Amino acid sequence: MTSSASRYLPFRALGELSETRYWMYLLLLPSLVLILLVIAYPTLYGMAISFREMRLTRPGLDGWVGFKHYAAMWSDPVFWIALKNTVVWVTAAVVLELALGLLTATALNRDLPGTKIFAVLILLPYFLPNVVAGHMWALLLDPRLGVINDILVRVGVLQTYKAWFADPDAALAATILVEAWHGFPFFALLLLAGLKSIPEDLYKAAAVDGAGVAAQLRLITLPMLKTVIAAAVILRVISLVNSPDLLLILTGGGPGDATQVLSLYAFQTAYKEFNFGYASALSVVMFVILMIFAVAYIRMSRITKE
Amino acid sequence: MIESKRHRRMIANIGTYVVLVSLSVFCIGPMIWMFLTSLKYEADIVTQTMQYIPSRITFDNYVAIWTQSGFPRLISNSLVVTLLTVTICVVTGTLAAYAFSRFAFRGRDQLMLGYLVVRMFPAVMMIIPLYVVMRGVGLVDSRFGLALAYTSFLLPLFVWMLKGFFDSAPKELESAARIDGSTRLGAMVRIVMPLARNGLVASSVFIAIAAWNEFLFALMLTTGQGSRTWPVGLQLMVGEFQLPWGVLAAGGILSIIPVIVLFAIVQRTMVQGLTAGAVKG
Repeated sequence: MTSSASRYLPFRALGELSETRYWMYLLLLPSLVLILLVIAYPTLYGMAISFREMRLTRPGLDGWVGFKHYAAMWSDPVFWIALKNTVVWVTAAVVLELALGLLTATALNRDLPGTKIFAVLILLPYFLPNVVAGHMWALLLDPRLGVINDILVRVGVLQTYKAWFADPDAALAATILVEAWHGFPFFALLLLAGLKSIPEDLYKAAAVDGAGVAAQLRLITLPMLKTVIAAAVILRVISLVNSPDLLLILTGGGPGDATQVLSLYAFQTAYKEFNFGYASALSVVMFVILMIFAVAYIRMSRITKE
Repeated sequence: MIESKRHRRMIANIGTYVVLVSLSVFCIGPMIWMFLTSLKYEADIVTQTMQYIPSRITFDNYVAIWTQSGFPRLISNSLVVTLLTVTICVVTGTLAAYAFSRFAFRGRDQLMLGYLVVRMFPAVMMIIPLYVVMRGVGLVDSRFGLALAYTSFLLPLFVWMLKGFFDSAPKELESAARIDGSTRLGAMVRIVMPLARNGLVASSVFIAIAAWNEFLFALMLTTGQGSRTWPVGLQLMVGEFQLPWGVLAAGGILSIIPVIVLFAIVQRTMVQGLTAGAVKG
């Protein structure tokens, strides 16, 4: 042991270093440096850009402009549409995903034979890339050769094939369905873990006291799941508000601005128009709204718990 | 009384299976349809009457996506970026996760909360300054640059997941090794890491899948053939050449095969790691 250790001198030196009281800070150092470099610095820099004029297409325009972008946002109709759409899109998707997730978790929790296979199948969409999920659903809902249109016509729900993503009213609903398909396994996963942590005895005691299925759900399951639901909802809201991927692939915000959301608007302002100043201002506002929501939500779910 | 109870139980079981089967169809159906589409001739895809079961099968679409576009190049770029991301996260993140799991020190809780809060930062808010900074140092359109950008959201996730696995590795063996004269480093490498091996693999696979799938950062930070990853490449092909549905479906199937294989291998441990945090906290 000692002989092998002395052969690798650098390792022995590190081993000795690990006995000092600064060891944990040394362990943290690499990741901390990386995080400061790729997160903290860009974040602060991004906030600074939101007070500047920065357009890569017009390098001459550069300099501090104060709150110009924020003032422009106030009178930008697209911003308000995107804000409204973000609220509708995120709320509808999260409610749908939570409902489906709860249903899935309850069914899986009964542990009938074959449950493991079902669990793997149901979890799969969550790991599918947005690009593939988006195009797959575009194919399924295609106005000319979409199989969902065909099925709906055969069943008699629709008269003719529908152009889901071309109709302003249907477009938002269709994207919500796709998002729910992609995201509900996440809720199922967390809620199932939550259900498993509820002691069986509680249900037995309730059954002895004559509580029915509905009463058990209301009095035991939901209160016990409260923290898990709160955590899942907040994580999902954050990731939905922040990621425009699916909408970018499915609709690009259209038709018109029917599916335009804040994150997508900010991304397109940067990616298509190279207007980095305005795009940064948009994302800063989005971040502030998200922070306010998160703090309010956490407060609220704590108060109701006590 | 007993008769009706058994009756009720049977109805509940049937109901459960109905729910599970319909949900599975909802989840897997679209993927099966994409797979079937990838095996059809284009003429059979754009027919008047929908073909539910392909009347004839072809692998032309797979040949087409592999040979007529830069697809192999895209895949190899994605592979490199994914491996770089995982390497960076494993090297730096394992140390951090171990420190968080085993030591009490000043500022520990605040720092951990910080690692969590950075996940709230909008991707768009990060992408713009990252683009400007990386253009300044020549890291735009570089696979290493993209991997660095990915660590901005994957490293904190990796640290949190792995810390959970380290927490559940028993501390007694480690103490025993220390009493036998092992250094802290020795105990960490020889005792704790092997104990948390499954967790380490699962966390790595989780961020590998995320890096493999990532689209938005790659769209902004890669501009040429040299570093473009497959999600961006596939998306651009749809826009530029009006990619036929069969070929697009074949590309989709090819690119999710690694995801499905990796997921199948480690799904149990990964599920544990993903859920541990939410249930405890």
